[in-house]
Amino acid sequence: MSRSAFLGAGLHTALGAGVARNIDALFSTPPKAGAADIRVGEETVHVPALLLHERPLVDIEARFWAAAEAVVGEAIANAGLSADEVREAALVLGTSSLDIAISEAIYEGELAEGREAHPLTANSTMGRLAQRLRKAHGIRGPEYTICTACTASANALIYADALIASGRVRHAIVVGVEIFNKITALGFHGLELLAPNGMRPFDAARAGLTLGESCAALIVGAPKQSGGFHLRGGANLCDIFGISAANPDGSTVADVIRMALADSGLQPEQITGIKAHGTASLLNDEAEAAGMRLVFSDLPPVCALKPFIGHTFGACGVTELILFCGMAERGYFPAAPGICAEPSDLEIRLPQTPLPIEPGIFQLNFFGFGGNNTSLVIANVG
Amino acid sequence: MSDEIILRAHGDYYAPVGETPPDVRDLSKQTLGKQVRRVGRFIHLALIGAARCVGAAAPPPHTATFMSSRRGDLETNIEVLEELFARAQMPKPLSFINTVSNASCYYVARHFGLHGRSCFVTGVCFSFEMALQAALLDFEMGQVRSALVGGLDTVAAPLAIDRARLGLSPDAPVGEASHWLWLERGQAAAGDTVLETVEAFTDRAALIAWLKARDFAPETTLLAPGQFLSDADAAAIAAEISLTRTFAYRADLAYYDGQAGGALGAFKSANDLDGCTLTHINADPEGRYALFVARRVDA
Repeated sequence: MSRSAFLGAGLHTALGAGVARNIDALFSTPPKAGAADIRVGEETVHVPALLLHERPLVDIEARFWAAAEAVVGEAIANAGLSADEVREAALVLGTSSLDIAISEAIYEGELAEGREAHPLTANSTMGRLAQRLRKAHGIRGPEYTICTACTASANALIYADALIASGRVRHAIVVGVEIFNKITALGFHGLELLAPNGMRPFDAARAGLTLGESCAALIVGAPKQSGGFHLRGGANLCDIFGISAANPDGSTVADVIRMALADSGLQPEQITGIKAHGTASLLNDEAEAAGMRLVFSDLPPVCALKPFIGHTFGACGVTELILFCGMAERGYFPAAPGICAEPSDLEIRLPQTPLPIEPGIFQLNFFGFGGNNTSLVIANVG
Repeated sequence: MSDEIILRAHGDYYAPVGETPPDVRDLSKQTLGKQVRRVGRFIHLALIGAARCVGAAAPPPHTATFMSSRRGDLETNIEVLEELFARAQMPKPLSFINTVSNASCYYVARHFGLHGRSCFVTGVCFSFEMALQAALLDFEMGQVRSALVGGLDTVAAPLAIDRARLGLSPDAPVGEASHWLWLERGQAAAGDTVLETVEAFTDRAALIAWLKARDFAPETTLLAPGQFLSDADAAAIAAEISLTRTFAYRADLAYYDGQAGGALGAFKSANDLDGCTLTHINADPEGRYALFVARRVDA
């Protein structure tokens, strides 16, 4: 069974602008996180962050649109879509924080000028980001903005695939955008989920996450006869155990992994490798490790990509998928040097150098606030 | 006879808002039979609409939850922004978590014990239509057999500022609504309302071509103009496909963004429409269109 094919991508993360630069960087060690300083009254909060490469946190609105619009253009060019194909395509955006960074900057600026300011007066419409990306590239097909926290762009891929399978569109542009904003940064700071020592998923020294930024775009279209990555299946379920953490017994994680396998017509032993969500938080890594153990009696190789790019929240679905596919297309399974080299309390070990791999079938997992759990199965074999 | 997507139930909250958006905690407690704590009006209104839709029934645990809103939980977002930038205070952890748009889906799913798919969809003019289409796609792909689909739009005080956000005149009537549908796959019976399709169109020519190919019967087809479709365009479309009957479900509503969310429930409840088809058409300022089609099974 083959569903939508991945035809071209665009990517900008802390590793660089452009897909190739990002993949090159995965052969090195993860970058050291910087810090974004946020002033709150008399206090300055240092937030560990991996910001967009060569896009300093100045002129917030301009950097936002420049990065987001560029990756869509890169993906369209790499897929070789014609202007007519772009016009008819769907745009399916997954994001958690939308363009709140811009709204923050406007409101903060108005207050600084001493004006009687109210938040969200320049824009209170959640669809503006997708609308702007669509207009910038002449896209007139169906437009979805999916907001399901850290699973948003993974879910966007599921709906893009369904739109194609239903015959409603020939191509869909799946976009993930997550740009640094103070509410998210301070929200995670307040929840004590930010790590001072970088992201160390499944590691005994794991202590939370580093904020990441990403703009990512993936063009998907009808299945191709010859090679390349495609979606085999996927699933999304709601875990009502808690709004901010999965059930630590792993049962709900296992449910969504099994459902994605069933949707793909596969058994666990057919999975070549797993890209874990790996937020490096105590409870979520525990739930994810337990869930994988419940499904896989013999766990295939597991990788985690957030040490390289931080947690890119709603964008992590399509961002990490592009990174994973790029590595696999070069014949390697991603490593996380210096992280979880030996099995920790969670009995997970991450590769320390990129592992040579043949084409295969891979499972990519994503979990988010609001109990939103998503699993994708992708393949570069028939 | 193949299964169809049946509108099993619908439930609505709608209220014009005077100068202050109402405190709905008591209504929420009364409707749900218990107090849901530490959530704002947006989530309370989501729960109220969903509970009115479901009534005394219990949706199966695999039921999916879809929600749409043009502006989401505006009050919580405003509160967090004001707290941080105007009062220089850290966001409260729970307020921050509730800024996540799908928090509302979570609370609905938790209240009804639902473990199925959960999705929050937004858009500028077609937020409800796209959430409904997402649900339809999941039915078509076999991912879902039961789904709650909600559309929720609220206002924020002070209303003078919120009218400006909405681009409305200072005296324009504004309201709030929480519209919910319960869709299930099954064998339709006489009087059932069946969702047939949800479509989006790049331009008017594509819309008209689709409508003409569908060849709706004028005597049994009702055109429901969406809130962003101009009266002139609605009349022109009706003329081009020879429709004369309309379904005016929005006649007396104060302004809120997602009025399309109330159309299917109104159609299901209307008298003497068995055997009729509803074609709801909406437009955006760029000349794109979205529609959904439902029919009442003849007695």
